[in-house]
Amino acid sequence: MSRSRDAEYTEYVAARLPSLRRLAGVLCGDWQRADDLVQATLTALYVHWGRVQAATHPDAYARAVLVREFIHERRSAWVRRVSLSGRVADSPAAAVDQDAVLDLRAAVAVLPARQRATLVLRFYCDLNVDQAAEILGCSPGTVKSQTAKALEAVRRALGPAHPATPGGQPPAAAQHQIFPGGPGHE
Amino acid sequence: MSEPQIRALFTEIADGEPARSQVDIQLARCRGRARLRRRRRRASVAGTSVLATAAVVVLAMVVGPVRLGSGPPAGRPAAPRQFNPLVPYLSFGWLPAGNRLLAGDARPEVVALIAGRNLNARNPWNLIVYAAGQCHPTRPARELKCSTAALEGLTAQISGRAPAVQGHRAFWAGPAPISGLPPALQHRRARASRGKADSYLLWQYARGGWAALVLPTANATKLSAAQREAYKQDAVKIANHVRYGAATPPLVFPAQLTGLPSRWRVGSVYYQPDGRLLRASRFALTTGTPDLGADGGLEYQTNLPNFGIDPATFYRNFCPTSGSEIINGYRVVVTNPVSGTLPNESLCAANADGLALQIALQGAHPPISVASLFGDHLRLLGTNPANWTTKPIG
Repeated sequence: MSRSRDAEYTEYVAARLPSLRRLAGVLCGDWQRADDLVQATLTALYVHWGRVQAATHPDAYARAVLVREFIHERRSAWVRRVSLSGRVADSPAAAVDQDAVLDLRAAVAVLPARQRATLVLRFYCDLNVDQAAEILGCSPGTVKSQTAKALEAVRRALGPAHPATPGGQPPAAAQHQIFPGGPGHE
Repeated sequence: MSEPQIRALFTEIADGEPARSQVDIQLARCRGRARLRRRRRRASVAGTSVLATAAVVVLAMVVGPVRLGSGPPAGRPAAPRQFNPLVPYLSFGWLPAGNRLLAGDARPEVVALIAGRNLNARNPWNLIVYAAGQCHPTRPARELKCSTAALEGLTAQISGRAPAVQGHRAFWAGPAPISGLPPALQHRRARASRGKADSYLLWQYARGGWAALVLPTANATKLSAAQREAYKQDAVKIANHVRYGAATPPLVFPAQLTGLPSRWRVGSVYYQPDGRLLRASRFALTTGTPDLGADGGLEYQTNLPNFGIDPATFYRNFCPTSGSEIINGYRVVVTNPVSGTLPNESLCAANADGLALQIALQGAHPPISVASLFGDHLRLLGTNPANWTTKPIG
């Protein structure tokens, strides 16, 4: 890669780093892993810098690379072995009922990578079904079904008695657990 | 469960982003370049891939390397295949009170840091990090063997599990017995190794790459059990705070070489902290694999020079007193010391623009003599760090 392309790459990724990092944080729920994910993404972007430049929407391309790295990483055997379903991300304390928020967070954390990525693309990145399908490399119908399954799984994890808004009692079923090779993981 | 709750959760997670990021763009570029190089290499050897695959299969069957326990996360970054000697890869994030970084050593296959109270300390902390593929654990002997092209390296015998280091499995180890020694020497070595079974802390810092922290206990004698335990606790803390590939002070050179053959590059560097910089104190040039072994951390290559440059105030009687000549206005001494079977050349300048300098090479047919290197190819940059360069070859 020539020096000028190196400079262009550096300028581009430096400007996108905060947004990529936030997206990685939401996907991983853990900022250390998020940094690892962004690091891997930046490497991939360097390798495919020609494609980034040629892309109609370079930011969408970068986002797709990050999401696919995330799904790829979550498929790896090690992650499945040691994934802590109840792991709580290292973020500031919530202002409202912390138990409820933590339960919700724990419920989302144990979703299979593809389902979690689907939720993040739909509800954090605000992408429509077609855009999410393009990034995930699947059909729009699959995105819809993955979204429905993910929401259903979260509902099930929180239990029927869980309040719709923060402030209720935490469900007994949502205590921190370890799922070695947890069911539902890809 | 509603979409707004999920949206609120994601927003809350994103807003909780810690300010300090460990993402390193320069590291991504280095890894990206390395990956591109590997791709090109793979493409170029595609024609011989069948043969290569067969060879790998045979090797795997013969050697059968065994992993000590489960490896680090496959999703985590792999260890570098090579280090760039001009870009420090390692730094300490924490050291016990009174200790500081004393020196560093960078070669393509291995990087190391030494920490302690001062350079004359007998028992420093020694952190050694190997590139991917340089270390090989063997289960039957419970050993980890690490070696480079020119260095025999580390052979450690695992004595037990240590607390995890940055989430990776870690092991206590000590010096391994050397096979083939006469019984008397074996006995003496075993006696010397007594109590040192946990003087190394080993861990796999990234996929395919091993790190070793040699504790001060490796060379210390007469330590109490409590002192050894305290060192071990410090070791785990040091290891947990080691930073890989993160930004460090720049590595700078007080001299710059110009007009060299295009394939010449810096192959290894020994550096010391100097204010807020890391100053290259010694470095060797290379065009390929070093073939003259190691000397205090550098790996030399036949017919290529190595340099030692420090502030002149560091030394007294730096050069021989006789046979001096003047080159470019500087008093230098050129000698041909006899050592080994190869001819040697050495040039010494006790004070050239405030720098004490030595250029040495070994070989019968050097393309450029030490006198020519000094007179025609070396630009001295003085003692002001503001004038030093990160590019030793201009």
